[in-house]
Amino acid sequence: MNPILSFIIILIGFYGIATSKHIVKSIICLNIIQAGTILFFLNLGYSREGDLPIYFEGIKDIVDPIPQSLMITTIIIGSTISATALILSIKIFHHYGSLYWDKIFEKEK
Amino acid sequence: MVKTMIKKISLIIILAIFLIIFIILQNDLLLNQSDLSRLYFLQNTLNETSSENIVTGIYLDYRLFDSIFEASTLLIAVSGIIFITRNYEYTTDTFFIFDKHKASNILTHLSSILFPFLLVFGLYIITHGHLTPGGGFQGGAILATAVLTTYYINPGRAINTKYLVLIEKILFIALILISSISLITRNTFFTNFIPIDKNNSHRTLFLITLNLFIGLKVSFGLINIFTSFLREESKL
Repeated sequence: MNPILSFIIILIGFYGIATSKHIVKSIICLNIIQAGTILFFLNLGYSREGDLPIYFEGIKDIVDPIPQSLMITTIIIGSTISATALILSIKIFHHYGSLYWDKIFEKEK
Repeated sequence: MVKTMIKKISLIIILAIFLIIFIILQNDLLLNQSDLSRLYFLQNTLNETSSENIVTGIYLDYRLFDSIFEASTLLIAVSGIIFITRNYEYTTDTFFIFDKHKASNILTHLSSILFPFLLVFGLYIITHGHLTPGGGFQGGAILATAVLTTYYINPGRAINTKYLVLIEKILFIALILISSISLITRNTFFTNFIPIDKNNSHRTLFLITLNLFIGLKVSFGLINIFTSFLREESKL
């Protein structure tokens, strides 16, 4: 059940990108897609009996550490993507005077 | 009005088709799961990488090639942002949007008290990355926020970002050089350059230096991004 829920979050992000009228809202939807992928990968390595992946006395079983170390990459790349998107949106606001997609497309014509 | 309704309904139908395909394929996903990697890392990580935190052992030893290019994406993003917000007329005194009148007194006083503790906490997270949860990337973000609270303390003062990008590039080159020393000492690429002994405690030196370099690099990159945001806003 859990992988399906995280995939539904990704689909909600896609729907938001396709229908949102404001640029900042579509950048927030990019972050929603990123949160969905992080949930999906952390679910793959989860086990109910597993402890945290740090050595201590009497450790028997751990959760899978590979998805956790991969998700550090995803978080860094997501932050850089949102930073570049926001700086481009500031440039768009200086040039067109608005952040709504409709007004930008009207001024483009 | 009708057009947008048709668009939304067709979009929902397409997304529902994606969901159905995913639910069908999900059974294959569960079939391919295995405990082999989990058991391997539980038994061998402490001997091979000498890191008690298994996640740090993976991203600084087994997958070091991957995390170096992850650090390079941040450098590329910072240089792109600086290229976009470049000032053609060089201005020495930039007026930042943080007004002292708008920020409340509680915030400024508390941030001036919290600033040294934040710095120490960030350095603790970075240097204990192989023992406790955390590491270079997380501690670098904390260090960057500690430096950014100085805007609340003294809004008129601007951080000179002229040399930060240069230091970040030098740190990235040093990362590649340190991780390729193992080609000489152990004859393999991108692992710990100190060979495996029975006493493993001195091998953590490699992990600590790499965590420090990555943490400083990430904090300089985030400070650069934030100051270029402020500079872009202050042009209005």
